[in-house]
Amino acid sequence: MQEAEVRAKLRAFITKELIRNASYPLDDAEGVCSSGLIDSFALAEIGVFAEQEFGVYIPDPDLTVAKMDTLNLMVARILRDNR
Amino acid sequence: MSAMPGWKWLTDGGYTWGFLARVLGKALALFVLLNLAFVLADPVPALGRVSLYNGLLAGRERLPYGEDPAAYNLSLFDLNAMFASHTLAGPRPDARRVIVLGDSSVWGVLLENRDTLPACLTEQLPGTRFYNVGYPTMSALKDLLLLEAALAYQPDAIMWLVTLESLPRERQLDAPIVANNPARVRPLIERFGLGFDPLDPRFVETDFIGRTLIGQRRALADWLRLQAYGVAWTHTGIDQVYGEYTPRSNDFDEDATWQGLNPDATLNDDILALDVLRAGASLTGQARVPLLLVNEPIFIADGQNSDVRYNFWYPRWSYDQYRALLGDAAAAEGWPYADLWDAVAPAEFTDSPVHLTPAGSRALCEAVVPFVAAIQEEADAGS
Amino acid sequence: MDFPQIGILLAAAALYVLFLPARWRPTFLMVGSVVGLFWLQPTLPVRWLDYTLPALTLVIVALCWRLTLAPDARVTRADWLALALTAGIAALLLLPRYIELPPALEITSRPPPAEITIPLVAGLSIAGMLLARLASGTRRGLLAGVFVLAGLFVLLKFSPLTTTLAGLARSTTGQDAALASPVDLGWLGFSYIAFRLIHTLRDRQTGILPALGFRDYLSYVIFTPALVAGPIDRAENHGAAVAGLAEARLRDPARITTALGRIAVGLFKKFVIADTLAIFSLGPLTASQADGAGATWVLLYAYAFRLFFDFSGYTDIAIGIGLLFGVQLPENFDRPYLKQNLTIFWQSWHKSLSDWGRFYIYSPLSRALLKRKPKPGNYVIIFSATAATFIVIGLWHGITLPFLLWGAWHALGLFAHKLWTDRTRAWYRGLSDGRRRAWHVVGTLLTFHFVALGWVWFALPDIGQGLRVFAALFGIGGGA
Repeated sequence: MQEAEVRAKLRAFITKELIRNASYPLDDAEGVCSSGLIDSFALAEIGVFAEQEFGVYIPDPDLTVAKMDTLNLMVARILRDNR
Repeated sequence: MSAMPGWKWLTDGGYTWGFLARVLGKALALFVLLNLAFVLADPVPALGRVSLYNGLLAGRERLPYGEDPAAYNLSLFDLNAMFASHTLAGPRPDARRVIVLGDSSVWGVLLENRDTLPACLTEQLPGTRFYNVGYPTMSALKDLLLLEAALAYQPDAIMWLVTLESLPRERQLDAPIVANNPARVRPLIERFGLGFDPLDPRFVETDFIGRTLIGQRRALADWLRLQAYGVAWTHTGIDQVYGEYTPRSNDFDEDATWQGLNPDATLNDDILALDVLRAGASLTGQARVPLLLVNEPIFIADGQNSDVRYNFWYPRWSYDQYRALLGDAAAAEGWPYADLWDAVAPAEFTDSPVHLTPAGSRALCEAVVPFVAAIQEEADAGS
Repeated sequence: MDFPQIGILLAAAALYVLFLPARWRPTFLMVGSVVGLFWLQPTLPVRWLDYTLPALTLVIVALCWRLTLAPDARVTRADWLALALTAGIAALLLLPRYIELPPALEITSRPPPAEITIPLVAGLSIAGMLLARLASGTRRGLLAGVFVLAGLFVLLKFSPLTTTLAGLARSTTGQDAALASPVDLGWLGFSYIAFRLIHTLRDRQTGILPALGFRDYLSYVIFTPALVAGPIDRAENHGAAVAGLAEARLRDPARITTALGRIAVGLFKKFVIADTLAIFSLGPLTASQADGAGATWVLLYAYAFRLFFDFSGYTDIAIGIGLLFGVQLPENFDRPYLKQNLTIFWQSWHKSLSDWGRFYIYSPLSRALLKRKPKPGNYVIIFSATAATFIVIGLWHGITLPFLLWGAWHALGLFAHKLWTDRTRAWYRGLSDGRRRAWHVVGTLLTFHFVALGWVWFALPDIGQGLRVFAALFGIGGGA
């Protein structure tokens, strides 16, 4: 799995499905949870997306604002178990 | 150690051993200084005058007394705080003000505030507000202590209910509020030449440590609790828990002794603290406030050995002698005096020979009204 | 914990920091926590139970530890030593039955006879360990562990069952079963212990539980400062702290100053503010006495602040003491009454519990529902997950109708807030700073009052009275 691919798919999912604004200019280091763009339910959706799209199961205690606030953090977490 | 969110003010100090030592050292020094300052300034009496009552909170209808937190009430020894919490310290009504002194029967054990004697009198005599300054311990010296404090509120008259049980000289200092207020009681003893030892060991002496912040922590906590209970009092109107009680006994052993005395004894000034009553009369006389002395109603039993005893407290001989003595003293001194010893029917007593039911309280109230009216007329004529 | 107990913990911390060789610290934490478990357990009306319950805690913790052992891990010599040490302490605490000890050393008041206790506990432990060994790490074993803990929880928190169980306990000891009441089974700290254990079982299942020896697993679950009122730490946090203890600089002025400052703040909050507010805060008695709406609001506000100062003060003390011992417990409160909406309130009130609810109920349930074919609507999922989470959080305080209502109250509030934000997010982001600040104030006041009204259910064990209090608050009808 390529990092660029994961990042692109995740970015598309977040802007289209969660923020519901496909043209939103999401920054890699932008705090999507802490800024109020998405909420804790969206984290669960990201968890399911990671599992279905990339086959990576992220345990629930890792689906927190602190651990998943930015696109960078999410991508790193998804790729962590793949290396 | 990782960060503590929200505790930046605490964690951002860059603490060193020197800092910690300085904090502890300064804290210790401050603590010692504060304790010394406490001894020098003795702020508790002044603090007592500071009160949330009669402002933020409703004033109390009777003095704070009690040990059950469920009553939102407590017993404390700081007269300033006690009076500051009382409606007496509140705004002056456009009415004559009469203070009613006495024991637990005046305070109203087992009676709601609306059923107490002062409440009934206020209702019966429009234009006069009666204040309940009764306090539940049997000691005339305690009444004198409260009288002196109450006079500061410039009442128009005083009503003082007494009974034999509050007069034994030996027992005057047993009341905790007396024993814990030597600074107020001793000057009274001296001023009126009362027959008590100013160095009586029952007086609670505060030594140096006792006057420090540490020593006064109980007084401070009592003050704080009095204010806190005031919130509950204001919003619930509760200052006493009314539980089940054992009714006063009607049957007695064939025992005719009273305070260790046999029926052949003669009661006199050595045995009874009548000098305390004289002191009260003189105190009110100097303040030009009329005083009505009332011999309060007692339960008169009709059961076993009731030919020997009126009730659990009083063998007949002692109470009869006391009544005669009090009547003679009142006549000799010219005190307005109401002997209402049998004004209340036996059925209207609750758990003690002097505690009344609401109906008993009303009966006493009606019996006392003419006497109050008489001293008021006299006072009006005099002024 | 009362004042003297906090004093004793501080004295123990001083000795620990000053004199204990650093490499013994983890062992001391375990030993101290085992002793603390028996020491803090209040005396119970049923004979022997104030010894039996802590002993049972130890057995349960040992079994859960065996169950959560990583598949590739073995029971090491150190684990056997820690197990033996724990058993030895428990046996030693039977001594007051046989010899007169000075009162200071009487940690257990009336322990049961050794000839019954030792075989019983040993038998139970060995049988359990064998079972746990068979089931270790398997999905079924871990699930069974969770169910057993949840079952025990229900037994202890649902008063009809608790009373029945207490009656059984009484007849075993020859006491009058008619006097049985839930108070008989006042198992100190069990709610917290059970939730910590469930966290380790579930995290083993998802593979994120760090490897912990018995010593550190036990000191995690029953860590004395957090035993009575939390917080619910996480095993990886405790494990990391203990692993670093041998090298940790505990004789550090910054750490000690911070810890003592934290404890001082906590003592003030708990013993001065909260205990004073307690005098006139909402309860079954005061609620029935209050005359009028104003009075009832005063009682309710007093209750709201008392609860906060009591609980957060307690947490401050726990965190401060933990810090002295070298274990930084998680924060539990973050100015909850100053939050502008209910979602943020729940991220700042009893955080360690709401996190637990999010990790072990809300998140897994939402994900399971999201994966269902056909997928239910998002709002159906959110509502179900929120309701389930907050009903569990409510019932965690006691399985009663008022706690259920309290949980439901917050679930509905959170769901309503979710609907509101989804519709207003864009509008809110477009507001000017001034407008946003104004909404912030309105939101904060609304949130506080929603939470405060919720406390009515929390404070009163009787629904009828709760309803009367609501009526009184809004000036409808007579007193409560």
